[in-house]
Amino acid sequence: MLNVLILGVGQCGNRILDAINKEAFGGSGASKLAKYYSRPKFPSRVDTLAINTATNDLKELRFTTAKDRLHVANLHGVGANRNVGKQAFMDNRDMIMGEIEKRGDFDIAFVITSASGGTGSSFSPLLINELKRQYRDITVITVAVLPFREEGSIYLQNAAFSMRELMEVDADGIILADNQYMKRFSGDIVSAYDKINSMIAQRLLFLIESLDSEMLSVTDLGDFKTVMNGGLRIGTMGFYQSDSKNLSIKDAIENSLKPVNLLYPANVADDAARAMIIIQGSRELLDVDEITKEVERLSASAGHVFKGIVVKKGRPKVLSVFTLASAPELESIYAQAARGMQDEKEKRCRARKQLDDAFAHIEDLEEIY
Amino acid sequence: MMLKDGVPKMLRLVYLLLFILLIQVAYAKEANDYNDEVTFKDFTLNIGDRIDLGDYQMELIEIQSVRDGLVVMRISKVGGSLDEQRALLLDSPNNFDGGAENRGITITVADIFDELSSKVRIEYPQGLGTARKHASERPALALDKPELSVQKSFDKNQMSVGDEVKVTITVKNVGTGKALGIKAEDIPPLPEFSYVAGYPPKIKETLDSGQSDSAIYVINAVKEGSIRVPGIMVSYSDAKKNAKSNSSDPFNILISPKSKADLAVRMTSLAPIALDGEGNLNISISNLGTASATRIEADGTVMPSEGLQITGLEKSFFEILPGADVNYSARLTGQKPGNYTIRVKVNYDGGAGSEIQEGTLKVVVLEREYKYQYLLFIIPIAIIAAWMYRRHREYKY
Repeated sequence: MLNVLILGVGQCGNRILDAINKEAFGGSGASKLAKYYSRPKFPSRVDTLAINTATNDLKELRFTTAKDRLHVANLHGVGANRNVGKQAFMDNRDMIMGEIEKRGDFDIAFVITSASGGTGSSFSPLLINELKRQYRDITVITVAVLPFREEGSIYLQNAAFSMRELMEVDADGIILADNQYMKRFSGDIVSAYDKINSMIAQRLLFLIESLDSEMLSVTDLGDFKTVMNGGLRIGTMGFYQSDSKNLSIKDAIENSLKPVNLLYPANVADDAARAMIIIQGSRELLDVDEITKEVERLSASAGHVFKGIVVKKGRPKVLSVFTLASAPELESIYAQAARGMQDEKEKRCRARKQLDDAFAHIEDLEEIY
Repeated sequence: MMLKDGVPKMLRLVYLLLFILLIQVAYAKEANDYNDEVTFKDFTLNIGDRIDLGDYQMELIEIQSVRDGLVVMRISKVGGSLDEQRALLLDSPNNFDGGAENRGITITVADIFDELSSKVRIEYPQGLGTARKHASERPALALDKPELSVQKSFDKNQMSVGDEVKVTITVKNVGTGKALGIKAEDIPPLPEFSYVAGYPPKIKETLDSGQSDSAIYVINAVKEGSIRVPGIMVSYSDAKKNAKSNSSDPFNILISPKSKADLAVRMTSLAPIALDGEGNLNISISNLGTASATRIEADGTVMPSEGLQITGLEKSFFEILPGADVNYSARLTGQKPGNYTIRVKVNYDGGAGSEIQEGTLKVVVLEREYKYQYLLFIIPIAIIAAWMYRRHREYKY
C-alpha cells in the first residue's frame, strides 16, 4: 500500500486539497453532511495537510479535518509577497515539518499549490526541498496551478518566479493545471474554480488508486516517476470516462488525450515526452489488443508510454499522464509576466520621477510657522 | 171571772196544778224528744278495737271475709241485757235494741279495708251520749295472708326465627299464709311462637309462705317482629278461701329474621400482571351472616378463558363461623395481554339450604413491557448526535 502525503499550500492548494477530501467522501455526489456520517475513502493510506498563513482561508475548508489544517502564523497571509512568504516559511519551518513528520513516512507526496499566490508560491519550493531532505526516498510531485492571466501582474510575476524555483528544486516532476485554460468549463469564476478543483482532485485520486491497485497490466510508482522525469519534468493529466453510448476503449483513450480533457493546454502528439495511460473498467469492456494498439500508436509520437489496466466494474475510465518536451504556453506566461513586470517597473519609475519633480518644488525651502 | 165564779178555789188549784203538770209533761216530753234524736259517727276499727256508747260496747272481733264483706262484731250492754256476736254484712244496717230509731243502736259496716280493719258507722240516739273508741291494747295479730309473686321470663331477649326459647314461670309465696288452689294461667300461644314442650306450665297448687315453684316450657320463634309478651296470671286463695290473683309484668322481645350464613367473596390482586409474569390473587370469604356456613366449595372461571392461567382457585372449607373469614391465594400467570374477568363462585350451606355467592375481579395482563424501549430511540440519536458533534469538532477550525 502506498503511503501518500497530499499537501495543499496556500489558498488554491487548500481548496484543491479540500476538493480531494470531498472527492474521497464520494465526489460531486457527496452531501455537504457526508463528513458527519461518513469517512473519506482514499484508495491508499493518504494523509492530507492544508498549510496556509491566512486563517480565513483555512476556515473556508469544509471536508478537511481541523487537525489537517496548519496555520503558519504570519498575521493574515503574506499579501502575495513571496519574499514575506519565504521568510514566514523559514521562521516556521520546524513547526511545519514537525507536523508532517507526525504523519509518518511516505512513498509519494503531492504538493498542490498555486504558482501565483503568496503563500503557496513561496512556501512550495522550500517545502519540497525540506521534504526531499527529510524523506530520503520520497517522490515529490508538484501540482502547480497557473493563474488567470487577467488576475494581475503580481500573480503572473509570482507564477514566473515560483515556476522557476519549482523547476530548480529537487522535485520529481510538476503537473500543471492552468486556470486560464480550464476557465472555459464554467461561466463564472466561482463555479470555474470549483470545477477545476474537482477535476484535479478526481484525476489525482484516480492516479493514486491506480498506482496502488492490482493491475492486469502493471504500472507502479516507479513508472510514474519515470514518466514525470521525462522531458521538462513538467506534465499534465487528461481524463475521460466513457458514456453509455460509446463504450469503446479506443475512443476513451483518445478522448483522454484530447486538449479539452487536459488540465493544461498541450498537444500530446507534438509535445509529449513520456506518458502513462491508466485504463479502468469492466473486464468485458477492456479489449487489451485494442488498448495495446492505441498505446503503441501513442508511443510512436510520445516516446515511451506506460500502460496500466485496472479491472474494476464500470464504464471505461482513462487517465493519461504525460510530461512535456516543450511548453509553449509557459513561455507565453513568462513573456506576459515579463511585460507586466517591465510595465510595473516603468510605472514605478515614472511615478518616482513625478514624485521627485514634485519634491523639487520645495527643494531649498524651509518650513515656516 | 168565770173560774172565780163557777169553780171552787180548790178545784181551781187542782186545775192549776194539773195545768202546770201538763206543761211540765209537755216540756218533759219535748225534752225527751230532743234526747232521742238519732245521730251517727264513723269509726275505723282494727280487730280488737272497741266503741263505748252509753251502756253499749261494740268490739270488732274479726274480718271474716273481705271478699264477701262479712265482719264479726260483738255488741254487749252493761248489765248483761245484751251480749251478742254477730256477723255483719257490708253496707247492711244491723239494729240492736230496736235500732237507733227505737232508742237502740244501729251498726253498719261501711268498708272493709283488709283482714284487720274496717270502717263502721254507729247510729244512735243522742241521749245515749257520745260514742268513743277504745283502741285495743292487744298487738295486732299476724294474719295468715298468702301473697304470690309471679315472674315470667325468656332466656333471651333477642332471638331469630327458628330459635328455641325457654320460658320460665316462677311463682313465690311472699305472703304469710299458705296459698291454696294456685292456678297459673298463661295466655294461649302467641302466633309468633310455636310451643314445643312443657306447655301449659305446671305450678304446685299450694305454696307455703316463702315457698316457690317454677315451670319451664319451650317455645320456638316462628315469625319475626317486635312482640309484647303478656304476663302470666296466677290465681289462688288463702285459708279463708279468699280468692286472690297476681300477674307478672308484660315485656317486649325482638324476633329477628331467621339466622343464616351470608358469605361475601372479596378478591384482590395487587397490580397488573406482566406478560409471562406471575401474580397473586387473594381471595377472602367472609361470613357476614348470623349462622355458620358449612360445606363451602369455591371455584372460579376466567373470561376470556385463554391468556390468563390460574392455579389454586378451587378450595373447600368445612365451616365458616359467623363473623369469621377465610383467606387463600391463587397463582396467576399472564400468557396473553388483555383484560380478564375472574369470577369466583362459592357454594355453601347457609342454614336454609344451599346458596351461591359470587365475586368478580378484573385483572389486566400488560402488553410486553419494553422497559428500556425508549433507549432504542434515544441511544441511536445520542450516538448520532455525539458522532456528528465529534465530527463537527473534528472539522471545526
